[in-house]
Amino acid sequence: MRDTLKRTTALIVLVALFTAGVVYLLFSLAVHGSDWASNRINQHLYSNGTTTNSGAIYDRNGALLVSSEDGKRVYNSSRKVRVSTLHTVGDTSGFISTGTQSLYRKLLSGYNVLEGVYGIINRPAETSSVTLNIDSEACCVAYDAFGDYNGTIVVYNYKNGELVCSISKPSYDVNDVPSNLLTSKYYDGVFLDKAVSGVYTPGSVIKIITAISALQNIPGIESQTFDCDGEYEIGSGAVICNSVHYEETFEEAFNKSCNFAFADITLQLGASKLLETANSLGFNKQLYAGEVALKKSTFSPSDSDKLELGWAGIGQSTTLLNPSHLLSIVGAIANGGTGYAPNRIHSYSTFYGQYSPAANQLITLDGGIAAKMRALMRSNVVNKYGDDNFPNLEFCAKTGTAQLDDADSHSWLAGFSSRSDLPLAVVCIVENGGWGSGPATEVTNEVMQYFLDVYTNS
Amino acid sequence: MAAKTKKKIQPKFKQITVMVFISLFQLLSAACVLYRGEEMSVVLTLIFMGYMVLEWLYMMIGIIATGTDYFELEAMAFFLCGIGITLCASYGESYALKQIVAVLMGLAVYLVMQAVLKNIDFCQKIRLPVAVLSILILIANLILAGTTNGTLNWIDLGFFSIQPSEIVKIAFVFVGAVTLEYLISNTSLTRYIIFSVACIGLLFLMQDFGTALIFFFTFILIAFMRSGDVRTIALICTAALLGAVLIIYFKPYVASRFQAYGRVWDYADTSGYQQVRTLVYMASGGLLGLGIGEGRLRNVYASSTDLVFGVVCEEMGLIVGLCVLICFVGFALFAVITVRQSGSSFYAIAATAAAGMLLFQLSLNIFGITDILPLTGVTLPFVSRGGSSMICSWGLLAYIRAAGVMFRPPEAIASIPVSRPVRKAPAGRMPNGDIPVAKRQGR
Repeated sequence: MRDTLKRTTALIVLVALFTAGVVYLLFSLAVHGSDWASNRINQHLYSNGTTTNSGAIYDRNGALLVSSEDGKRVYNSSRKVRVSTLHTVGDTSGFISTGTQSLYRKLLSGYNVLEGVYGIINRPAETSSVTLNIDSEACCVAYDAFGDYNGTIVVYNYKNGELVCSISKPSYDVNDVPSNLLTSKYYDGVFLDKAVSGVYTPGSVIKIITAISALQNIPGIESQTFDCDGEYEIGSGAVICNSVHYEETFEEAFNKSCNFAFADITLQLGASKLLETANSLGFNKQLYAGEVALKKSTFSPSDSDKLELGWAGIGQSTTLLNPSHLLSIVGAIANGGTGYAPNRIHSYSTFYGQYSPAANQLITLDGGIAAKMRALMRSNVVNKYGDDNFPNLEFCAKTGTAQLDDADSHSWLAGFSSRSDLPLAVVCIVENGGWGSGPATEVTNEVMQYFLDVYTNS
Repeated sequence: MAAKTKKKIQPKFKQITVMVFISLFQLLSAACVLYRGEEMSVVLTLIFMGYMVLEWLYMMIGIIATGTDYFELEAMAFFLCGIGITLCASYGESYALKQIVAVLMGLAVYLVMQAVLKNIDFCQKIRLPVAVLSILILIANLILAGTTNGTLNWIDLGFFSIQPSEIVKIAFVFVGAVTLEYLISNTSLTRYIIFSVACIGLLFLMQDFGTALIFFFTFILIAFMRSGDVRTIALICTAALLGAVLIIYFKPYVASRFQAYGRVWDYADTSGYQQVRTLVYMASGGLLGLGIGEGRLRNVYASSTDLVFGVVCEEMGLIVGLCVLICFVGFALFAVITVRQSGSSFYAIAATAAAGMLLFQLSLNIFGITDILPLTGVTLPFVSRGGSSMICSWGLLAYIRAAGVMFRPPEAIASIPVSRPVRKAPAGRMPNGDIPVAKRQGR
């Protein structure tokens, strides 16, 4: 009998095991609760995969971009704001995976340990909100500036990484989704935010990388001269220049974007040095701007085919460049070598309090090289593109043309204002804008003029 | 002596306080259900009122009849049943009506069982018939059952469907405890093993693996209580494991029932459907819950039976969910404490087996639906909707209660436990003036 009683210890062991199981369950809830609650099968927050209850998103000036009312997502009342901020804000169905609604859905689900998703169902805007660094008015200006063209423009403050403008075209109105969205060729890739998920053949903007590598690796490059006869012969082939530039310095070659000179510099550098520079500037690497994964920029120069190497150095080979990545490189040049990632989020407000994430640094460049590149890019505007095209901006830039086999070329511009009261850098791509940098220059200037007005009149 | 008298008054006061708190909780949750719809349901109002009257009547009559107020077991069971009834009411009047009838039947079984358990001689006499009847019921089940959710454990009587395996659970503990109490020859042990193997085997044939596992666990627990031989237990478990491996090898469909285990998110729309949604909605409820009727887990199949713990957490909050779990731990600890003071190994084995069975079934349920254990589709005792489960829960509780009654071992024939329970020990002294041998402590 006494033994039998002692053996009730078995029950105590069972209670202990049970308690351990419950503790494990509570631990799992604490760790994974927000993942579970924000899952798309949760009918408190989603209906057939589309968002119903979620937090509010504001722009930097407090304009409401989207919030939930009575279990429905309600967007800004202006069609233009909805269209121009679509890719940054994201759509209700979550097709735009890099949109804030999708990317920060866990946070916007408003889940907290105390009340689960009760708050987000009953008082969504107070429970969870995200304030973006984006200026929705600037996005509208940029969207208009593109006219009928497609493409992307990203503008950010290179001092702190705040992404103040980002658009991706084509776009559409979430309140009036076009019936041919999934079938029309025009809307091909419409769910991709080209600023973060797009990569393009860089054209001459790659000469920024080649120039940096030359400054790093070729002593006396700034005093070298080149004699451009319009064609740089390599083996049996040749790199064709856009013109015949005759004798020119390194700076002049950069101003004129001389293919002859840059093919020569590329061969002087060799593939490994060029690759080393490119890799140090974030090529061939998965980069993140905060939580946003940037499509990888790829650059793979090879010594085995000198002609191909020559083309690579002027940006017409297999190289692919992501706009937001280039923005960080330009930002590093503008900011004395420290290149921040474009930071979309100004602040989050949740049950647990308010939080402002700082921009992460993507690019590190030697201060001396940055200063030289800054001077070279300023020289481009002064001596080649003309300050008239960028009035009052004290602009520094490098343009490019990405030649396509079967369509009009893409027009590139990467630059920044050197005014201390306008610390903004910009990357703009106008798709099929044709030869030359004209369309990108115009779009960039319109957007930058808007910001000049905002920054100097406030 | 004066101090002891004072001690006896204190818990009385506490017991009433606990009931008042439980009633307040039930009033509040009833109000949540009643004020949800546009029109307040008269039927539901009557059900809620009736249930609370039942609780208080039971307590009051109990206190008057026994002169004690040691009703913590019943209080916890009433709390659990109350949650079940409230949730049933939020589903609809017919569910609530059936559930309160189930509670009444459970309570009746509970009282009858206590009367039966008082008389060990009688228990000994009915042991064999109960065992034979149990096997027959399970065989009948296997022949008559219609398939429900892959298992063959229901008999549909037209107006009512019963789950015989639930009723047999009570008999399984009974037969085990009585047999081993009077274990004289190896024959009776062999018979018990044959009985157990038959029960578990029949449950396997019904593909009710959850219940089979509960029976097996209880068998192990009873065997350990009697023998205390860890090696024998280990041997049995190893044999069972081997058997399980063989079954899975020859009958792959058994394993396919559990393919989602440990990776339910990969099977979110197939065999992991219920578990994934339980996790999502449990988290959604937070600590405080979304409000009764405001949940979404209730739209998932078997939400009021197997998944009811998830519904409790989503709608009433994790805190109430934890209170439910604490009640079961309470049953087990109550069993441990009272068994150590009871005078008979029959009651000791029965109470331990019953408490173990309840806790094990609870574990299979809540850890199954949350993917910590494989999902076996067993109910949450007292809370899940369903008459058979409710009757079984109360029946098992009767074993724990029976051990809580104090016994006075006769001095003359010490080897045979006495059957007459003495419920009251006035002023710490037995009627004949002796000091009781096994005194309830802490009272």
